[in-house]
Amino acid sequence: MLQSKHTRRLSWIAIGTATAAFAAFWSASLAQSAGGPFTDAQVRAGRTAYAASCAGCHQANLAGAGEQPALAGAGFMSAWGRRTTKELYDDIRAQMPYGRGGSLDAATYQNIVAFILMANGARAGSKAFDGTETIRISSIANGQVPADVATPRRAGGGDEGGAGGRAPTMALGQTLVGNIKNYAPVSDAMLVHPDPKDWLIYRGNYQAWSHSALKQVSDANVDQLQLRWSWAMNEGGENATGPTIHDGIMFLANTSNTVQALDAKTGELLWENRLGPLATRAYSALRSLAVYEDKVYINATDARLYALDAKTGKVEWKTDIAEPGKGFNETGGLIVAHGKVIVGLTLCRGQMPHCYISAYDARTGKQAWKFTTIAAPGTPGGDTWGDVPDDMRAGGETWIAGTYDPDLNITYWGTAQSKPWMQASRRSGTASTLYANSTLALDADTGQLKWYYSHAPGETFDLDEVFERVLIDHGAQKTLMTIGKAGILWKLDRVTGKFLDAKQTVFQNVYSGINKKTGQLIFRPDVLAQKTNSWISACPSAAGGHDWPPTSYDPGNDLIIIPLNQSCNMMLGHDVKQHTGVVQPEGEERLFFMPGTDGNMGRLAAYRTSTMEPVWSFQQRSSFLTGVLSTDGNLSFVGDYDRVFSAVDTKTGKTLWTVRLPTVVQGNPVTYEADGKQYIAITTGLGGGSPFSKPSSMLGELHHPDHGHAVYVFALPDKVTGKVN
Amino acid sequence: MLCAAGVAKAAEQKFDTRLTAVAYDGAMRANVQGDGRVTATLDGNKLTVSGRFMALPSAATNARLYSGPGIGVPGAPLLDLQLSGQMDGSLSGSFTLNGKQLAALRQGHVYVQINSQKAPEGNLWGWLLPEHAFPGANVPEKGHGFLPQLDVPGNWVEK
Repeated sequence: MLQSKHTRRLSWIAIGTATAAFAAFWSASLAQSAGGPFTDAQVRAGRTAYAASCAGCHQANLAGAGEQPALAGAGFMSAWGRRTTKELYDDIRAQMPYGRGGSLDAATYQNIVAFILMANGARAGSKAFDGTETIRISSIANGQVPADVATPRRAGGGDEGGAGGRAPTMALGQTLVGNIKNYAPVSDAMLVHPDPKDWLIYRGNYQAWSHSALKQVSDANVDQLQLRWSWAMNEGGENATGPTIHDGIMFLANTSNTVQALDAKTGELLWENRLGPLATRAYSALRSLAVYEDKVYINATDARLYALDAKTGKVEWKTDIAEPGKGFNETGGLIVAHGKVIVGLTLCRGQMPHCYISAYDARTGKQAWKFTTIAAPGTPGGDTWGDVPDDMRAGGETWIAGTYDPDLNITYWGTAQSKPWMQASRRSGTASTLYANSTLALDADTGQLKWYYSHAPGETFDLDEVFERVLIDHGAQKTLMTIGKAGILWKLDRVTGKFLDAKQTVFQNVYSGINKKTGQLIFRPDVLAQKTNSWISACPSAAGGHDWPPTSYDPGNDLIIIPLNQSCNMMLGHDVKQHTGVVQPEGEERLFFMPGTDGNMGRLAAYRTSTMEPVWSFQQRSSFLTGVLSTDGNLSFVGDYDRVFSAVDTKTGKTLWTVRLPTVVQGNPVTYEADGKQYIAITTGLGGGSPFSKPSSMLGELHHPDHGHAVYVFALPDKVTGKVN
Repeated sequence: MLCAAGVAKAAEQKFDTRLTAVAYDGAMRANVQGDGRVTATLDGNKLTVSGRFMALPSAATNARLYSGPGIGVPGAPLLDLQLSGQMDGSLSGSFTLNGKQLAALRQGHVYVQINSQKAPEGNLWGWLLPEHAFPGANVPEKGHGFLPQLDVPGNWVEK
């Protein structure tokens, strides 16, 4: 039946192609004589509107970046050439700007479409575009990008050379110099054994547990939590951060690469340094900063590493992680281990060099080592890309900070999938395309590869395995646990990299099995038979399964608590020419709700790590968009797309407390103690990639303001804890 | 007779699904909205299907059972359902399934799809999966709750 339908479809395509060829000839002739279905005035207005609302993600030259597709050139024509001007208009109007579909007036959307058509070689005519014209785009545009579009005048200031977008208009530089007295430098020993009063590391400790031994706030009194203070953060860009706390000071990676120190008890600003560049929507969420000795470290979104004086906020040193102006990017935060600042790198799309993990002397900023995450031809693993030329080997980004085992002196990192997304586009079959979608174990002093584990050789649906590596010991056995977008919870031996176990946590249909001994996944047969320009289904969608909102490990209960997403998609991979240049994901996506979930996108689940046994789970309509924080008070805190921040009973999953915040709760909750009182801090934020954009598209009945980046800090009332001075 | 009826009842299998929008992008979104629910009973090889739909953006034109190579993987039309109503309405059907169709149903590969005037290649769909109680939003279940992983072979790692 499938074949006959497919054959019928091919017949229709053949007829359609002939018809389209005639239509293209006719339309092209029309375009030559009368121009396209839009005017010069619309193009001019559209250029301005595009710069204001679109360029931040799709770039001023419409080249796209990351998950934001190209809107001009061959990539655009692959996706849109066969579709109509009305479909383009409807698509943009329904979904754009990112997370704010339908928020512009109709004329502005029409003007933006006119500009995009012009940017693909279509000529303006005398009739204005009103959104109803069903003209095949390839009949009026050829993907030839005019020079003034391909190389626009730089607006300046924004990430990645994009126009300002929604970036704030504020001056850069240090606006408040601090004068913090008696600051206690952070030692290696303090990082190895963090004081529960502090939150010294992105995920709470080197092992990424996101767990606190504090228990003043507990399942017995959490219903009395109340807001103690809040702090508005910069608007613009993406916000998905988590504060770092030391010695009663909250260090905050604000958007636009602004670093702030706040009194963690009162919210008073102690110092501020606006490092810049200003944020736009695209890839500007800094998930963390780091503290060590007397410095604060931050890897700014333009791939520049700064060390600031923790007491004053002044820049002590700075160094380029990657060559400026090449589009390299940082979002994942960083760790400090054994005196070295270790950072990843993102948006490496075939331009050389490839992505790498690099380490810098914490005192001087001098680079100590670099490990490239794409294997070049002739190097170990280089043959895992088949015949793909070196400058077409893309992906392997490290957009989540690694973890560290001080006893083994090994740092563990996950890597992103290879690009283009789909096997058929990439032309690398089921080869493992090292070191994409792998766990890397690197010597923290030298960067030497101790071992790697390739989780998903041949991965083809944008299902990253890049997220946190959680280090858990079971007696003498040292394990590493991680979960990627496929929703498979992995357990490895972190000394050797040997596969130990795996567990599905959400429905998935990409893999039909797994080899029990090696962990090798077995693809669904029709996935292996994929072709370019054909739709193929995948559950979960590229929003994950699990995505960047990280897990928490509660050691007392041996539970890992996992935020999960439930959605599926159809994907279509483009034909990609094997040419030198920037490699894009080259795929299209159509979303749908995951079967068997009753339309619930969010799922929170707890698994016992010793046995991999599922202990509890619950579902809800809204996706979770924060990491989980667990505490010895038998509480797990988590926030969601529908503005709800909640605490659940870690042992049972029962919701014990909720609060509705002004906009999307996104980031990483942390807890700390100051003057005898336990505080819980969480951020609200917009943007953040697939986990944010997918529910924006699918959960139309859930609304949130398009602003409101902030930090909220909760504690129990003084009558419960005693008065705090 | 009573005993026989009881045995027959016990052999029945119940399936259900919520109908939600087919896979869509922004250009399609306006035409693929709506909601619905379908239940099905399998008694031996006889399948009885009934359901309701609502709030389609355009009038429903037909409804069918389809079968694909996996849960959540679209495929080809299998059997026609009877349809009444336009933007809101109901669907039903009674069928005798052959062995291949039975296997597909039991593996979760059969889905209901409603097509409409503005979405002739699909407006709503939902995979028929074993009836399962959904405890409600934010209500925890022991274990991992319902995971419709019916078609993975036994070599998947499970404890």
